[in-house]
Amino acid sequence: MIDALDLSKQYAGRVAIDRLNFQVDRGEIVGFLGPNGAGKSTTMRILSGFMPPTSGRAMVAGYDVFRESLAVRRRVGYMPEMAPLYQDMRVKEYLHFRAELKGLRGRDMRIRTGEVMELCSITDVRRRLIGNLSKGYKQRVALADALVHRPDLLILDEPTNGLDPTQIRQVRELLRSLRQDHTILLSTHILHEVELTCDRVILLHQGKICAQDTPRNLTRQLRATSAVRVELKGAEGEAQKDLQALTGVRKVIPRSRREEGWETYVLRVESQSDVRESIMDLALRKGWKIRELHRQLPTLEDVFVEITAGDGVPAQKG
Amino acid sequence: MRVFWILLKKEVRAFFISPVAYIVLALVMVLGGFSFRAALAILESGPSEGSIVTWTFNALWFWLSYFFVFPLLTMRLFAEEKKLGTLETLFTAPVRTWQVVGAKYGAALVMYAVVWLPTLGNFWLLDWITGGAVEIPRGALQGSYLILLAMGLFHLAMGCLASSLTSNQIVAAVLSFTLSILHFLIGVFILTIGRKVPEPFVDLVHYIASVDHIRLFTQGVIDSRPLVYYATLAAFFLVLTHQVVEFRRWRP
Repeated sequence: MIDALDLSKQYAGRVAIDRLNFQVDRGEIVGFLGPNGAGKSTTMRILSGFMPPTSGRAMVAGYDVFRESLAVRRRVGYMPEMAPLYQDMRVKEYLHFRAELKGLRGRDMRIRTGEVMELCSITDVRRRLIGNLSKGYKQRVALADALVHRPDLLILDEPTNGLDPTQIRQVRELLRSLRQDHTILLSTHILHEVELTCDRVILLHQGKICAQDTPRNLTRQLRATSAVRVELKGAEGEAQKDLQALTGVRKVIPRSRREEGWETYVLRVESQSDVRESIMDLALRKGWKIRELHRQLPTLEDVFVEITAGDGVPAQKG
Repeated sequence: MRVFWILLKKEVRAFFISPVAYIVLALVMVLGGFSFRAALAILESGPSEGSIVTWTFNALWFWLSYFFVFPLLTMRLFAEEKKLGTLETLFTAPVRTWQVVGAKYGAALVMYAVVWLPTLGNFWLLDWITGGAVEIPRGALQGSYLILLAMGLFHLAMGCLASSLTSNQIVAAVLSFTLSILHFLIGVFILTIGRKVPEPFVDLVHYIASVDHIRLFTQGVIDSRPLVYYATLAAFFLVLTHQVVEFRRWRP
């Protein structure tokens, strides 16, 4: 469905994306993951035919995004970041306008807009002015717009950005229900999100692809970089030495005390090992009291440091 | 072509739901009333060489309304979409740049025509009240609205360009206003300087002076040269606008 070859884009001397190569097959849900400014939006704008690449080539549904831009745009449903919409139009009116613009007409157009409004649960606000809708509704109106012409490929730039947890879950479920008919490329900077929705993840960092894998493999890789935090009492200064002695612990970092008697440590652990059980055993043996013991999931930043540096030690954050 | 009509319909609708259109409409009606009143006053004061039509369109009030119309009608066109980010949704739909530029320009033109229509009512009213006692020459009337339309073609195209250059409507309005005023001032330049400039230069200024065009057309003299002049300039500025909007698609 998507075939990008050495795709590059420069803005006034600044490199936004640098020789990207990737494929997306029909029926896949692929997530672009990366911090802000990694080049996700730029890539999506190129793929949706909004602007051309500086060099390289991208084919969408068999058409060149630059030379056959109109053919590409007919087959792509694109939802830009922040879901820009005409504030002074009503929902139904806006979708009718967009559907007509994308080549639907008459009865088919009215039936289809009804369908997508139902699908995105915006039927009850169809007569409201878009400008007066909440962020969640606006986002779904934009999604309905992207879907209205039955595109082969959906390109969604941060579809859950700015939504509350319930709305995020709704959008996620909606995306999953769409997978039968559409190929989906979405971007996000939330690790958890790709884990739940995507078949495959493309990690972007500073305009380059730094990893491409299934979320499963990726998270396995990430678990390796995790840290364990423990807060305990009663060790009388012995804790650091004892914790260090546990198998799988690479380094113990003491944290400042928040309360008299309680000590907090962050443990960097070896890959694939979970030391929480042995910490518990140790505490029972020594008679310590534990009131916090949890594995810190690495942040996206840790992942990038990990993958770009490649030495397996995550950046420590307090 | 279908896409163009869909876009045009949407743009015209957008005008009618925004307050700006009504403000312009009211402004032109009020100032139109003033210039009509000024023209009546001239006729009342004794015999004069011009008709009611000529005096109406040469009144100071008329020029005042004239220069405010273009920035107000065109400032929103591209600047608003840029600000909202909707240009991105618009250009990822299967539309061509000329269709978008054409539709926005077309809608502004439609609004421009709508805005001037009520001023016709002044003449009709006068005719009705006086029972045809005041002569309203048909040719002058036709000429006046024809040149008004021609000048609109040009200034609206310039306004489109101004709007496409920025995402700030105020900046767009100021730019379009400045360009319009500059064009006008080049025209009146000759009147203030007098005849101290070389002959070819005088001819040139006469060719581009809006004041001269208005004077001719409101007397019922329909000259094809100003019409060609304004249409050419309009085309030029539209092509420029097209290029500016298309700019993002250029390969560096």
